[in-house]
Amino acid sequence: MNIPLIATKYIAASAILAWATATFSTANAATSVQATVNGMVCAFCAQGIEKRLEKLPAAQAVLVDLKRKVVVVQAKDGQTLDNKAISHEITEAGYDVVKLETVPKSVAEIRANLKAGKP
Amino acid sequence: MRKIVFAFSLLAASLAAHGGPMGFADSTMAMGDFSPNWREAWVNHAVTSRDAVGLGGLRMKSDDGRKTRNFAEATYTRRLARWNTPDSQANLWLVVGAGPVRGNDFAGSRTMLAPGISADWETTRLYVSASARLYRAKGINHDFASVRAGFSFYEVDYDEIQPWLVVEARRMRGLSEKTEVTPMLRLIHRRYFVEAGVSNMRQGRLNFMYIF
Repeated sequence: MNIPLIATKYIAASAILAWATATFSTANAATSVQATVNGMVCAFCAQGIEKRLEKLPAAQAVLVDLKRKVVVVQAKDGQTLDNKAISHEITEAGYDVVKLETVPKSVAEIRANLKAGKP
Repeated sequence: MRKIVFAFSLLAASLAAHGGPMGFADSTMAMGDFSPNWREAWVNHAVTSRDAVGLGGLRMKSDDGRKTRNFAEATYTRRLARWNTPDSQANLWLVVGAGPVRGNDFAGSRTMLAPGISADWETTRLYVSASARLYRAKGINHDFASVRAGFSFYEVDYDEIQPWLVVEARRMRGLSEKTEVTPMLRLIHRRYFVEAGVSNMRQGRLNFMYIF
């Protein structure tokens, strides 16, 4: 069966594009740790959490979401966040951590989702 | 000495002015509570997440304007307990102050001790607190008590200003025989809050708090 030249070129280009997209996405995938926090009821008092977490060496960005009672810490590229350290900082600020989970999103993405009303 | 006391009074707040009398660890908090008969200011620094030390000044005046008190104090604040739930937070605070007090009805200065306790409970929409503080010196007893309650008009995001309506009732022995009730509008943001209102004694009042 002869495959026309144009189709061959199309398939090759698609394969390269798919590979490049996958590689690019993998290289830039952000990782964040999301903590569900008890007692976080006002921006004034939650400031301490933000200030403490921003000082963590591996922290790229911090997001406080009072409505969902969560704090998100994004890791710097190539670095790993220490869950114990995050939990310690929040506890020392006077709050209780009830859940920690890793999410494959950046703080900017999560913030944009929140603004758009997405979960 | 009188100038120093007055300077403190202009610089630095009562336990009743806010829910938490200290900020997060390593932060410095400035607080003020100003009305014609009560002018108070504090600055304190949180040395840990539970302890703060500070300086403050308080100028009190009797309802008839005849008696005045100027109190300069060094303070220690301790968060005794905190209870966190998914939707609320409650605290128990201790504040101890000591320093010289001067008055226009006695000569010189006397040493005043001012231990106090405060409790508060809040959610993102509701707030209640109660405070009591003893202001004692030789021949002087100006014990103070206050209660507060408030609600926010709506929930906000972390980076938005939230408006509240707060009502406070307070009373001080020996200087006023009336209970002062003040409804206030509070605007709270990440680093500060301001409150303003007019009391049942038709006196304006302005409170603020700022975290550095």
